[in-house]
Amino acid sequence: MASNSSEKDHGNYVPTPVGAGVGVRDGESLKEVFVVGEDHIPECFVAGKDSSLDITVIVLPGCKAGIPLKFELTGEGASVRLSGIFLCKDDDGVSFDITMHHRAPRCKSNQVFNGIAAGRSQCSFSGRIIVAPGASLTEAYQENHNILLGDLARVGTKPRLEIYNDDVKCSHGATVGKLSEEEQFYMRSRGIPEEETKVLQMISFVAPVLSGCDDPVLAGRVEAAIREMA
Amino acid sequence: MSEILLKITDLHASVGDKEILKGVNLEIGRGEIHAVMGPNGAGKSTLSAVLTGKPDYNVTSGTIEFMGRDLLAMKPEERAWAGIFLSFQYPVEIPGVTITNFMKTAVNSSRKARGLEPLKAPQFMKLLKEKMELVRMRPEFAKREVNVGFSGGEKKRNEIFQMAMLDPVLAILDETDSGLDVDALKIVADGVNALHTPEKSAIVITHYQKLLDYVRPDVVHVLKAGRIVAVGGAELITKIENDGFEQF
Repeated sequence: MASNSSEKDHGNYVPTPVGAGVGVRDGESLKEVFVVGEDHIPECFVAGKDSSLDITVIVLPGCKAGIPLKFELTGEGASVRLSGIFLCKDDDGVSFDITMHHRAPRCKSNQVFNGIAAGRSQCSFSGRIIVAPGASLTEAYQENHNILLGDLARVGTKPRLEIYNDDVKCSHGATVGKLSEEEQFYMRSRGIPEEETKVLQMISFVAPVLSGCDDPVLAGRVEAAIREMA
Repeated sequence: MSEILLKITDLHASVGDKEILKGVNLEIGRGEIHAVMGPNGAGKSTLSAVLTGKPDYNVTSGTIEFMGRDLLAMKPEERAWAGIFLSFQYPVEIPGVTITNFMKTAVNSSRKARGLEPLKAPQFMKLLKEKMELVRMRPEFAKREVNVGFSGGEKKRNEIFQMAMLDPVLAILDETDSGLDVDALKIVADGVNALHTPEKSAIVITHYQKLLDYVRPDVVHVLKAGRIVAVGGAELITKIENDGFEQF
């Protein structure tokens, strides 16, 4: 009952202790690209005041992995850019379990995950954004877009926003679709072979994430993996 | 008569269960410009779709020969390599793919199919610049994503630019005049005329005479309810303009 409107209703927010993890200290910044199965990926990052994190996670074909990732935004004004690409085929299975916990005011987080699933692969993306009471002026965005290349591939996407605060900007978007045949026909009518049209479509699909990595070697590996999937 | 470039014989085609083309016959000689005119729903766009091999359009009987080859046995990209080009009525947006990258891939795929080396970057950029000037596209368009955020006129100019880049033997212009103002129409028509040589043919598909004021056809066909119901010279255009398609 909202009989006493001056008392802030924090709903079901359950305070939890800040997780232990890689700390990014006040005012510092961290930019890292992790390839799943090759690099050790910390499960938790703690972002201090005015710190800035830019984390990219890449899943190349031939992977079976659960990827838990937690971000604790404990310092005022922290910002996190989290991006990911997952390319799965055959019997690959990948499952992202992400928590973006805004604990302090004026923090920003931006997540973009683009996945392509072929063969009988199974992918799941669970993205949770928590805005704690007191974390006013939070900006938190999350996008997860997926392409299914075959009838047997599966993608599950589950965005979850838990907002215990009025003064925030949050949004999420999730899509699962196929490569557009209309685009393919247009390109083929210009003489681009069908397989190459798919490669162009998939490369453009992951390009927004890949361009943020500034890593030509990795970009080459992603392109090679895409060519094998087309 | 000049060499026959395209020969359509008793062509029947359907989309789903619906038969749209009901026995089309058409011959186009090298160097000729043909107009195919007809009311909405006559089958004009189906004809262009079948000529370019669009999926979901089924040819149920009849044949199409292009320079002596069985066109219907060829994939859309193989038809492009053989020299067929369609200027789309509704050009498709391809997010994330720039015009430069799109055209480089298209030009070099065709060259590869013909056993030629890919164009080197400076050669390609020179060609791109020259052809963009032909349709008065500003240079910054080269970096833009294909058709994304283009106005109707810009999309149509982009079609003619692509045509200039690919240098087809047979150009099919499907309602290229629709949605164009007079200035854009003139630019498009000038582009089409500049590309036309005695070696090349074109099919102009339209239901208005607009574009035909600038691109003069040698032969005019009237397509109605899936059949060619009249064939004539440019005088047919005036006849249609005066009395409509009801007379056929």
